[in-house]
Amino acid sequence: MALYIARRLLWAGVVVLIVLLLTYAVFYLLPAGDPALRFAGKSPTPESLALVRERLGLDQPWYEQYGKFVKSFVAGDEWGWPGLGISYNTQVPVLEQVKDRAPRTLLLILGAAIIWIVLGVAIGVLSAIRRRTLADRAAMGFVLIGISTPVFWLGLMALYIFWNQLGWTGGTGYVPISEDPGGFFSHMILPWTVLAMLFAAIYARMTRNTLLETLGEDYIRTARAKGLSERKVITHHALRASLAPIVTMFGMDIALLVGGAIITESVFNIQGLGWLAIDSAVSQDLPTVVGVVLLGAVAVVIMNLIVDIAYAFIDPRVRYE
Amino acid sequence: MKRRVAFPVVALVAIAAVASLLVSAASGGPEKKIAKGGTYTVGWESSFGWTDSFDPTGEYLANAFAINTNLLLRGLIGYNHVGGPAGAKIVPDLATKVPKPTNGGKRYTFTLKNGVRWGPPVNRAITSADFRYAVERLARPKNGAQYGFYYPVIKGFDKYAAGKAKSISGIKTPNPKTIIIDLTTPTGDFLMRLGMPAVYPMPQEVAKCFEGKPGAYGRYVIASGPYMIEGSDDLDISSCGAMKPISGYDGQTRLNLVRNPNYRASTDSAKARESNPDRFEFIVNSNIDDIYNKIGRGEYDDSYATASPKVFREYTVNASKRKYLHSNSADGTYYITMNLTQPPFDDVHVRKAMNWALDREAMRRAWGGPVSGVVAEHIIPNSMLANRLKNFHPFRTPGNRGSVTKARAEMRKSKYANSGGVCTAKECKNVLLVTDVRAVDKLTLPIVQAGAAKLGITFTVRSVNGAYPVIQTTSKNVPISNRARWFKDFADASTFIGPLFDGRSIIPSGNTNYSLVGLKPGQVDALGVKGTTKGIPSIDAMNDRCQKLALGARRTSCFAGIDKVLTSKIVPWVPYMWANTVTIISPNVTKWNFDQNAGFTALAHVAVKS
Repeated sequence: MALYIARRLLWAGVVVLIVLLLTYAVFYLLPAGDPALRFAGKSPTPESLALVRERLGLDQPWYEQYGKFVKSFVAGDEWGWPGLGISYNTQVPVLEQVKDRAPRTLLLILGAAIIWIVLGVAIGVLSAIRRRTLADRAAMGFVLIGISTPVFWLGLMALYIFWNQLGWTGGTGYVPISEDPGGFFSHMILPWTVLAMLFAAIYARMTRNTLLETLGEDYIRTARAKGLSERKVITHHALRASLAPIVTMFGMDIALLVGGAIITESVFNIQGLGWLAIDSAVSQDLPTVVGVVLLGAVAVVIMNLIVDIAYAFIDPRVRYE
Repeated sequence: MKRRVAFPVVALVAIAAVASLLVSAASGGPEKKIAKGGTYTVGWESSFGWTDSFDPTGEYLANAFAINTNLLLRGLIGYNHVGGPAGAKIVPDLATKVPKPTNGGKRYTFTLKNGVRWGPPVNRAITSADFRYAVERLARPKNGAQYGFYYPVIKGFDKYAAGKAKSISGIKTPNPKTIIIDLTTPTGDFLMRLGMPAVYPMPQEVAKCFEGKPGAYGRYVIASGPYMIEGSDDLDISSCGAMKPISGYDGQTRLNLVRNPNYRASTDSAKARESNPDRFEFIVNSNIDDIYNKIGRGEYDDSYATASPKVFREYTVNASKRKYLHSNSADGTYYITMNLTQPPFDDVHVRKAMNWALDREAMRRAWGGPVSGVVAEHIIPNSMLANRLKNFHPFRTPGNRGSVTKARAEMRKSKYANSGGVCTAKECKNVLLVTDVRAVDKLTLPIVQAGAAKLGITFTVRSVNGAYPVIQTTSKNVPISNRARWFKDFADASTFIGPLFDGRSIIPSGNTNYSLVGLKPGQVDALGVKGTTKGIPSIDAMNDRCQKLALGARRTSCFAGIDKVLTSKIVPWVPYMWANTVTIISPNVTKWNFDQNAGFTALAHVAVKS
């Protein structure tokens, strides 16, 4: 196992470097081109433009900039480790921006993930064991609604009803849990629920399908023939085997949401990493874009690793040595 | 005895009541009671979007000007921060008076007021050396000044900027109170240039730590105005290394201002700054609808955001909400730019025909209708020309809907058109038009296409996310774009002429003279311009003549004259709207006014229920 983890970590490093390389390349292939124009005022002289390019390091070939970034990333810079540089736009170190925004996104994902995994698996199991009953149809109705409702619409409607009209929850914005735990939960309950709806629907559907498939397997029949209770058959045998694909998807979904919960962040004004990435990309703030992309890539790699390790525990047939 | 006292009391009460009603009506405030205290909260769309991270030396965003000039900083001269022509009038701020230039218009002498002090943690008197430092910091190219081009008129500025002098010879500070500025040439708008925050005094002991790091001082700005960044008093300035960003501004999502304890209202004018709220909060919000919801609920008081048409409708149609919507001239022009070197726009008759053909009213509707602005009939907004051209309508058509008849009559004079006034030449087919990807550009594009189609002109449209860098690069030779707009830097018509039409201002990238008016054959190769490069008309000499005139009626008339020549003879643009700044305020706001100079809410005069 240790060798396997070491090998995966090595590959993870390579993947992260390739992702960064692609980010740099995309940035330089953007049609609107020269970010120096943004920082040189209304009527810049060629000299002032050259100075801005020099200051931002844009006067060097992109591969040299990339090399410098990788070096700085590994060794750290004046703002700490890992060295992510300083934002063109805000003059705030990217590390500071990421540290400020990451808890918002991670707590959003964490809360939503708990809701969607509990809700999704529970509905999926219920639907599978009560197949073709009213409960199954209701569950599949929920799935249909969850999958087909756009997140932004759901978010706006939730805000309108629960905050604007009923006043049951806090409104938009982010309240740090360290400042006001009550305010934190009050403001996060809607984004958690809205973000979880889509995923809960997908997970319910997936759980139902895999569980139904598993319930038809020979070893389940054997377990039943042995006289095990239906509860034990479901929880000890069927559900455990059905969980493998769900765990894979769960890990990847969490990783992708690190930079991908943009709509939820935007509607609820949470201003996490997703929003930071979009805002930076629009304003051609390369260091910040790279910082967020890097974090997203690392998240994907780490979650992949965790999923692979989790496999070994969930499914005893999977071994790495 | 009682009766004698009672009458004046009644009279005074009545007068006060009438006066308060008038003040409220003039300010447009929905409530009558004006009180000190409270927090004025502004929702800010998406991100602060500073151009230089809020460092006054380089910061060019109008809203940063508004925060700096109304609340945080004081300059030698300033404005009263009100709407209309009164808001464009220069008044003394740190200086005891607005000086009259001497030495043939080339020397300005200022005396600083007594009792003006830096906010915490600097806590000392503001001196002439602070002004000198600010200008020298601005002149040093490595500090990223974004509008430094206004100041080479100061004697010795260029030499200092080039590193060939130890100080700017045109700035003398014989004592801590006196500043003498010598110019190389009489410059009528020089006082207005001094009204821009980059040349407001700056404390060297703090700003020196950010030498060569443009924008970095933005998180350490020391107050000279009535408010300071929250947490300024905790800033340790014992050494550069000890300084940590002021806590009230995180650089990304929130800027909080609180009262500056060292500010003395007695050194200021209540006409310029009332400073009513105790606190200002500027909060970035990624959800525009949420911003306006919060304004409606009174959680925010104001915004820096583009309201959706739905919000506009809500506040224009609903009578109970109409009083919360304010629309003021932003002193800016939206226009279609045509490149004088590119066919078919190298023919003045085609350019004139485009002016006749365009449905300006439809363009305005695309922007949101009358609340968004006034249909423009020439280049410089009437508000900046003291209405001198209010009767000048070279391309007026009924309802501003355009006229095919007049357009084709003009087009017939063109070398590209047939006798029916329709262009049949290949130069009119698939002409490159650069536009942006914003929703409003998608709305205005078909209107431009429809107008041009009536003249036989068709376009190849290139939509670019961020079209400005493309149309600002001369070697791209963009024939036409509907993306262009321009706002004043200060309330002088010159800011609409020099950068936009002076041939000497044309530069290869970042160019704002998109039409290339005044292009000389000698510039062509360096700029990468291809097309018709000979015989391009110029207004350079006229601009020089106007620029020498002192502020006042003659100067305004002079620039109005250039506008007439440009609009009716050279015709580089199709101007279609003089934009308004539309502001929606919350029911909590008890006093509101518009700052004509900054083009934003007059933060110095607002008040909220506390």
